[in-house]
Amino acid sequence: MTEQAMRPQFMGARVKRVEDPRLLTGQARYVDDIEVPGMLEVAFVRSPHAAAKILSMDLEAARHAPGVRAVWTFEDCPVMLWQRDTYEVGQPVLAHDEVRYVGEPIVAIIAENRYLAEDAAELVTIRYETKTPVLDMVDAIAESPRRVHPEAQNVFFHKVYASKGFDEAFNAAEHHLSETFRTTRQTAVTLEPRCTAAMLDPASGRMTIYASTQSPHRVRSDMCELLGWDENQIRVIVPEVGGGFGMKANTYPEDIIVVSAAQKLRKPVKWVSDRTESLLSDVHARDDIHEAEVAFNSDGKIVGFRDHLMADGGAYPAYPFSGAVGETSLASRVLTGPYDIPYIATTIDCTYSNKTPLGAYRGVWGPIASFVQEGLIDRVARALGKDPADIRRINMIRPDQFPYRNSAGMVYDQGSYGESMEEALKLVDYKEFRRRQDTLRHEGRYVGIGISVFVEPTAMASSEAGSVGYESVFIRIEPTGKVTAAFGLGPTGQGHETTMAQLIADQVGVNFEDVVILHGDTDSAPFGGGTGGSRSGPIGGGAALVAGREMRARLVKLAAHLLEAGEEDIELGAGKAWVAGVPDRAMTIKELAEVAYTHVKRIPEGLPIGLELVARYQPKRAVSFSNGTHIAEVEVDVLSGLIRVLNYVVVNDCGRLINPMIVEGQIQGGVAQGIGSAFLESLRYDEHGQLVTTSLMDYLLPEATEVPRITTRHLVTPSEGEGGIKGMGEGSLIGAPAALVNAVSDALAPFGAMVRQLPVLPNDVLDWVNA
Amino acid sequence: MATKTPIRLTINHESYDVEVEPRWLLSDVIRHQLGLIGTHVGCEQGVCGACTILVDGKPERSCLVFAVQAEGADITTVEGLSTDPQHLTALQESFRDHHALQCGYCTSGMLLTATALLKKEPHPTEDAIREALSGNVCRCTGYQFIVDAILAVANGSKEVQE
Repeated sequence: MTEQAMRPQFMGARVKRVEDPRLLTGQARYVDDIEVPGMLEVAFVRSPHAAAKILSMDLEAARHAPGVRAVWTFEDCPVMLWQRDTYEVGQPVLAHDEVRYVGEPIVAIIAENRYLAEDAAELVTIRYETKTPVLDMVDAIAESPRRVHPEAQNVFFHKVYASKGFDEAFNAAEHHLSETFRTTRQTAVTLEPRCTAAMLDPASGRMTIYASTQSPHRVRSDMCELLGWDENQIRVIVPEVGGGFGMKANTYPEDIIVVSAAQKLRKPVKWVSDRTESLLSDVHARDDIHEAEVAFNSDGKIVGFRDHLMADGGAYPAYPFSGAVGETSLASRVLTGPYDIPYIATTIDCTYSNKTPLGAYRGVWGPIASFVQEGLIDRVARALGKDPADIRRINMIRPDQFPYRNSAGMVYDQGSYGESMEEALKLVDYKEFRRRQDTLRHEGRYVGIGISVFVEPTAMASSEAGSVGYESVFIRIEPTGKVTAAFGLGPTGQGHETTMAQLIADQVGVNFEDVVILHGDTDSAPFGGGTGGSRSGPIGGGAALVAGREMRARLVKLAAHLLEAGEEDIELGAGKAWVAGVPDRAMTIKELAEVAYTHVKRIPEGLPIGLELVARYQPKRAVSFSNGTHIAEVEVDVLSGLIRVLNYVVVNDCGRLINPMIVEGQIQGGVAQGIGSAFLESLRYDEHGQLVTTSLMDYLLPEATEVPRITTRHLVTPSEGEGGIKGMGEGSLIGAPAALVNAVSDALAPFGAMVRQLPVLPNDVLDWVNA
Repeated sequence: MATKTPIRLTINHESYDVEVEPRWLLSDVIRHQLGLIGTHVGCEQGVCGACTILVDGKPERSCLVFAVQAEGADITTVEGLSTDPQHLTALQESFRDHHALQCGYCTSGMLLTATALLKKEPHPTEDAIREALSGNVCRCTGYQFIVDAILAVANGSKEVQE
């Protein structure tokens, strides 16, 4: 790898965020804060049925309602997502002949404001003939009770893999045990709901789209593909985004309607989801079944995993990324996690159903696969009467095995797997916990400990943010010597304006305060993939380092010429260039910029006028693995079934840290979401396919009283990529659910309990206790 | 269309004369009629707490109040703390120091809930802080750094400004 140009001053420092002042003072602008004269607002009439034929629609009353400017059906916007290419079925942006999930948009009401649009929506009458909904995943895979789409099989993705010699080795093992693991539907619940605004620019005729998205350029590409626009006719602006977590990586039917309406009505148009719409129509996630089996020997060595992975993808593949395919494909390849398990065999089936489409939610495959993997490890330990930490030690990939190719063919770069676990065990004082657990059990109290050692594939060539494997940075030193850099990333709270400025300041040799980071505007940012799959730090940050280094080389050349010194003697820092050992022979970067832009005759031959360039960075490795260990201690109240998290420890390794404060924020937030995933959050459908969790009173999120104080420690195993950076946005949610539910299994071991479903609810606890 | 009623709202010590439909939510009027966009709407079901404002010093969900009901009340929104990045209140500054925000959407509600708490109870325990925040959902931070930010103010010498 290329060593950094200078000793970092800002990289690795706990720099306070430049984003904060505007957010703390209520001055930041999110999409709903964009108001333009004459702006119209949209409300949707959505399907109340899981499956029905549409017999007729009466739209007259709505059309004549006060303030209504247009009432649209599919005929007014005949756009199909997927256009029946990749998956045989396409999703009409407004359902016209049939509805296939509760919440599917059917009619768009475009009115002077949202109140009037909702009034009119109530006046729409639609007659339906209901059909038998397809709701059970296993039945659906067997084409029962029927096909969701008559023209396509229910199974829209099927894949089989087995490592060489699997059957022989698996059957030869001394012991086998099997378990069916179930995760139930969950969703991201960004506090800012989905929203989109669009308006034609009257001067140029171009379309401006305000999008709450993780991928500005992807939105632009999708609009071009679906609506036939040219890329240079669309400007996507992403203002402040109130959370994304993978859910805002998709393009949704509502986005298409808003842009189309702005075009056809020649008016600014905005749609902001309400919370019920969000829970109905934001992509869902985690609707998976794993029929898993493990083969192992009496010494605790695991020989192989066999797994039938099933995912309920909902009525349509989410566009342009099916969560069902994403969750199962990657889970099948990283199911062995940090363990050296030589054999694996997997079968994947993703099916359609009459439910909301499945998309991405932070960690995508990871929380599910870790839950299965760590659940199997704990079952092996219990079956052999051994300590779960010991079973992990026996099977852990050793440091001398890197780069390690796992049994599914994924290549892991260097990590600190065993070390992270030992460090975490020390932090919780594992032995002392076991003593305490024993004492408390005699008092009728049930505490338990759960270990989760995870790997997190980051910086992948493709992710829910698309298949752009690189990032680009446009960097410019302004005539005043200040630095501006534009990125195609799509931050939703990660603080890229801070972290990217830290990286660039070090390279260019200026103060952090002198760097401004632009993002979220396709007119200023070079083409990029956006934010998702834990790629912004390693790939975006890598691009920042490359851009900064190239700019630095430019400055060094210029300074060497002007200071009449060799390039190797020029040093840069704190906004100045000087000759090494002769600090008096110096120029400020402002003075260099004046030459570059104004006194251009002084520029040496071979250097261009000005100080600006575009740099791109694509990591050499297809993936870089972060890792870590989570340990949770819980107490289970066997009378009420309530679970309380008593203590929580994370030892995390994401390579070199750009800003430890921000990394810790990501860890804390991910663990909190893990508590939701493990103990609270569940999107529930009734037997008619009706989603019954359509408010935050029904879909429960973790609150401040449910999240304990979390201890975090960092280990640093640098990647081989730029800066040694690895991604880390998802690892905390990958590791957490497994640690939490394993702690419940441990606490309730006297009752023979072993968690096999996420989330674990009080009734599940009472069922074990009263069994 | 429903007839509008003229009302006078007192927000951050300033008077606003505005005509509203009786059904308009206070959150909508604050944001869209008065342009005080620091109040964010997260659920309109009174659960998430993002739209929390202070009504006569007490935290209220502005999505559960009709604007007409707020006449005569003394309302504080996040803009009533400080809008000057160079002169943040001690609480705002502490949020920044402790990385108590990521996407920023819940932040206004958190700041106002904490302001009311510290006014009533200048030195709360961690449990009391968590209890007070339990009506404000944050999806990004996991709460600990928010709690730390409030604890730091509670343990410090600076007065909480409103």
